[in-house]
Amino acid sequence: MELLLQQLFNGLTIGSVYSLVALGLTLVYGILHIPNFAHGALYMVGGYITLIMMTNAGLHYILAILVSIIVVGVLSVLMERLVFHPLRHSPPIQDKVAAIGILLFLEALAQLLWGADYRQMPTPFGQVVNVFGLTLTLQRIIIVAAAIAVMIFLYWFLKKTFIGSTIIAMAQNREGAALVGINTNKVAILTFFIAGALAAIGASLTSPINLVFPGMGHLVILKAFVIIIIGGMGSIPGAILGGYILGFTESIGATYISSDYKDLIAFVLLIIILSAKPQGIFSKGGA
Amino acid sequence: MKKIKMLFIISLAFAVVMMSACAESSGGSSKEKVVNIGYSGPLSGAAALYGENTLNGLKMAVNEINKEGFEVAGEKYKLNLVSLDDKYMPNETASNGKRLVQESKTPIIFSPHSGGIAALQVFNEIDNFLIVAYSSEPDITERGNKLTVRIPPSYEGYVEPFSTYAMERFGKKLAALPPVTQYGKDWAEAIVPYWEEHGGEVVHQASIDFAKDTDFFTILTNTLKEDPDVLFIGGASEPTAKVVMQARELGFEGGFIIMDQAKLDEMKNVTETYEPLEGSVGVTPLIYTEYPGTPEFIDKYRDLYKKDPGSEAGYHYLATYLLVEAMKAAENVDDAKVIREHIQDGLDNLPDDKKVYEIPSIDEEGGLVNLIRMATVEDGEIVLKEVD
Repeated sequence: MELLLQQLFNGLTIGSVYSLVALGLTLVYGILHIPNFAHGALYMVGGYITLIMMTNAGLHYILAILVSIIVVGVLSVLMERLVFHPLRHSPPIQDKVAAIGILLFLEALAQLLWGADYRQMPTPFGQVVNVFGLTLTLQRIIIVAAAIAVMIFLYWFLKKTFIGSTIIAMAQNREGAALVGINTNKVAILTFFIAGALAAIGASLTSPINLVFPGMGHLVILKAFVIIIIGGMGSIPGAILGGYILGFTESIGATYISSDYKDLIAFVLLIIILSAKPQGIFSKGGA
Repeated sequence: MKKIKMLFIISLAFAVVMMSACAESSGGSSKEKVVNIGYSGPLSGAAALYGENTLNGLKMAVNEINKEGFEVAGEKYKLNLVSLDDKYMPNETASNGKRLVQESKTPIIFSPHSGGIAALQVFNEIDNFLIVAYSSEPDITERGNKLTVRIPPSYEGYVEPFSTYAMERFGKKLAALPPVTQYGKDWAEAIVPYWEEHGGEVVHQASIDFAKDTDFFTILTNTLKEDPDVLFIGGASEPTAKVVMQARELGFEGGFIIMDQAKLDEMKNVTETYEPLEGSVGVTPLIYTEYPGTPEFIDKYRDLYKKDPGSEAGYHYLATYLLVEAMKAAENVDDAKVIREHIQDGLDNLPDDKKVYEIPSIDEEGGLVNLIRMATVEDGEIVLKEVD
């Protein structure tokens, strides 16, 4: 029983991170209509900015995350303005190539600026907490709590505010949104900013339990792709649910089936879900 | 009109770049002769740090040697290092190998990973280049390739001393958590039977995928429920240190057998003190090694790169000097077979101040014979142990 609870908590931790990253990816999908391959690089830059703010500028962890959110958000907006916006009338393949280009560029840039070393991000919340025989660390509790808070806020923002609903409107139908007077440029900028911010939050929360290095984006981005396919491309609840499904499958699958097959289990699940619902659990635009 | 102008400028720029490139490649040969040394290793991607460390040692030696040059059969030579990135992928190593031989006629190619080495071994005897292999995988010399030199000791030598130490200090229950790489699997296949033959028990086996796992809590929770006394772990130093930290967070109090890829001193950069690493047994970090050339090398490396050198850098530094000595003894700079035959002479002639490691000889299969030593963490400090 304890083992099950511990693994559920482990799945919850990792699922929270997956969901945050997948959310950013799925939001941008609404604008670009392709998965943004460069999203993993934004995640990596987010980790580095938080780390640098803490070690070089001496900021507190939470302040450093705030700076990171802004920097990566702006970087994401720049990406949209300089690369994807000029390509908006091109066929999707050009967006894809551009996204891969940005990914390679940012990774090489990070290696040039900060070196290839694995860096350790200190956290003021490293304490180990034992509750009912479960081992939790404060950092992990914060990951789960912060991720859920961010998701609730995002959901409220998209559903209950006017600006938020313009994002959904544009994801559903770009021309239609423009016809009813939505400024599609502004919405695109805002969406990219939110996606960047989510990547920065995800990276900053996870980095203390792993490490910061130029290739760190790869750890989560492939899984984020799987998640948005499971959840339905462009779907907000789909990304959240998909993230937790994958997190729990990995931890429970590794425990009760085989840890060597845990990735396999996730992909089998993907096939089953897609056979039953080819558009993903929530179909596109159903946010 | 604008377009034509643009095209003109672009083609002009292209021509200038081409011309300067040509000038560079022909400029060297007018005064001194040059020996091209090839390198193919991971310079980008997840293993970039490892590749960079190996290349640092190589570059340092090449720059030092080129200050004076060296004389082979009455002619003065300099080294020219041609390094290519293979992203840790054997197929890329193979195409890099072809490129190095065809474009730069390199008689020697360094490669720091077993997969890439295996790929080069497919054609190195035909294309006549010497592979200088940095990998402790014993297979690479056991395949009977005549033009391969393995620099570090084979990991087979570590299995017994590491296991004996851990078994005596902590107990007989081992959980094996190697990385998913071929190298990790081979290591595990060597250590698991050894434990079982010597009265130990292997209570859990799983592998860690450092390229996919963000968090190791899941795998460690499953491992620790079997209540092992010793964990067998490995991989790059820093992520391996994270596994150690998380195992301690989950309440593990036993020891660690650490695969030779990870180094205790680099792991300490992550764990901050040696305390979480208490009871670890692994290879001796270079900075705790004392051979005639080690202190000088460490000082120079720290000066140049502002960090502590690891064995990757040390061995590559030494190997470069060794090859120069072998070329001198062979009186030949382009025939890999002849250079290979004179590696023993190279070892004999190696100046004391370049002996970052003491290597008395090379065995028949092409492995350098290293003295095996190990390091353990006892009461929060590194303790070196001699191994017979």
